[in-house]
Amino acid sequence: MSETVHAEPPLIAGAAVRMEEDGRPTLIGSECADCATRIFPPTALCPECMGEEMSPVPLGRSGRLYSYCTVHVAPRGWSVPYIAGYVDLPEGVRVFTHVVDAAERQLSMEMEVELTTAILGTDGDGEAFSSYAFRPRQPVSDDA
Amino acid sequence: MRDVSVIGAGMVRFGKQPDKTLAEIAWPAVKQAIDDAGVSKPEIEAAWCGTALGGMMSGQRILKAVGLTGLPIVNVENACSSSSSAFREAWIAVAGGLYDVALVIGVEKLTRFGGGTLPLEREDFEVAHGMTMPALYGMRAKRYMHDYGLTPEQLAMVAVKAHDHGALNEDAQYRNRITVDEVMAARPIADPFTLLHCCPSGDGAAALVIAADSVAGRYSGKPVRVLASELASGKYMTGFRDMTTPEITVRGAKKAYEMAGVGPEDVDVAEVHDAFTIAELLYYEALGFCERGDAAGLLEDGETSLGGRIPVNPSGGLLSKGHPIGATGAAQMVEIVRQLRGECGGRQVEGARVGLTHCTGGGISGFDHGACSIHIFRN
Ligand SMILES: [Zn+2]
Repeated sequence: MSETVHAEPPLIAGAAVRMEEDGRPTLIGSECADCATRIFPPTALCPECMGEEMSPVPLGRSGRLYSYCTVHVAPRGWSVPYIAGYVDLPEGVRVFTHVVDAAERQLSMEMEVELTTAILGTDGDGEAFSSYAFRPRQPVSDDA
Repeated sequence: MRDVSVIGAGMVRFGKQPDKTLAEIAWPAVKQAIDDAGVSKPEIEAAWCGTALGGMMSGQRILKAVGLTGLPIVNVENACSSSSSAFREAWIAVAGGLYDVALVIGVEKLTRFGGGTLPLEREDFEVAHGMTMPALYGMRAKRYMHDYGLTPEQLAMVAVKAHDHGALNEDAQYRNRITVDEVMAARPIADPFTLLHCCPSGDGAAALVIAADSVAGRYSGKPVRVLASELASGKYMTGFRDMTTPEITVRGAKKAYEMAGVGPEDVDVAEVHDAFTIAELLYYEALGFCERGDAAGLLEDGETSLGGRIPVNPSGGLLSKGHPIGATGAAQMVEIVRQLRGECGGRQVEGARVGLTHCTGGGISGFDHGACSIHIFRN
């Protein structure tokens, strides 16, 4: 995709993702001050101990792909096909994500993936939206 | 708690009925169940109606058509487990002595939403990020294939078996037999699933009349005893989970077997929640029909087909009979009641004494499933 001067498409992940000054995204979870439970996406209440002192905690930018599959049929708005996946982060948090910059045949279970952002679809007005996504940490070969 | 039996069962053929209202879809099933039980309408003291997407006052709209009104009517929503949850509420009330006779309805009209995947709750974070039910089960399947060596052909065989059974059921939405090649060549939905790995969308209804055993003899010649009525919600986990075993079903099955005083080896016939092919295999293991990792072998050996050791989904299951969400739990029970009465003709499991129904669903982030309800019956 070519560079454009337009603003980045809006992120749909709300408080769950923060864009850093260097343009890189960070996933934000929350951590309970009372019992140290970490959770993603962030919540105001700890589901373990009902503590309300939840502070935002940045999560690691890379993790392991627990599972994935190519989605061919999805509700209107999503650009299909896309690859859905679960990524396990070092903090003990599993994140649902889109996996980008690879075809399904280039992925494998427990593969190392890293955080990025991607345009994932268009809203009801035809405007593109984006969110966090993960991609293989090592370059993938085209002939895999 | 008193012993409770099913004394009447009815259902309509599942399929697409866009021109009918919810009440028009449901009343024939209700009338059939009441006639089957041989009760008079005034003897029915309360009714529970399970529907996930039927809208407000579904039970009242249906029972208005039947002319059964004035009694307490409770509408129950628990996703795919809506009418099995409704059944459990009715069972609690009758077993507890509040009523002697009660009615349970399961109904859904999915054609009002058009085609495509089931509309999920948009407030859920994962749904808002593109999670669909086929994607969730697809990821389960992919991980199971990785961990246990399940092949795409074995997975397709689940759908072939479902259609072989459904072909024998006049209430099934799809009555055509299919081949492994046809399953694998169908339109892709979410890898590894093609369309034929996924239960169809449709409309339908089923109903049951239950009664305390002390009065059941008055009505039906063949009461079917409820040995266990179990309901669990999913456990919310913030961290990692093993997606190759459905913890909510494992937990629920243990409780249901304890309540019933039987074990998986005693079950002669089961209706399980095969919303997608992989689901049926996961449930063989979770319900104790085989060990972890052995599900494909059980299927390939024909043990879960009609004529096998433990026939699963003789009705055709969700894959062939259809899955109008809120109607499914009650329809599974109708099948098991008919199996235990020996009324199933070409798909009859010979000599079936103990039957099990398992209904689970509800895609919510952090849960295996939102709800799971397991029932065990004996003739
Ligand atoms: Zn806490």
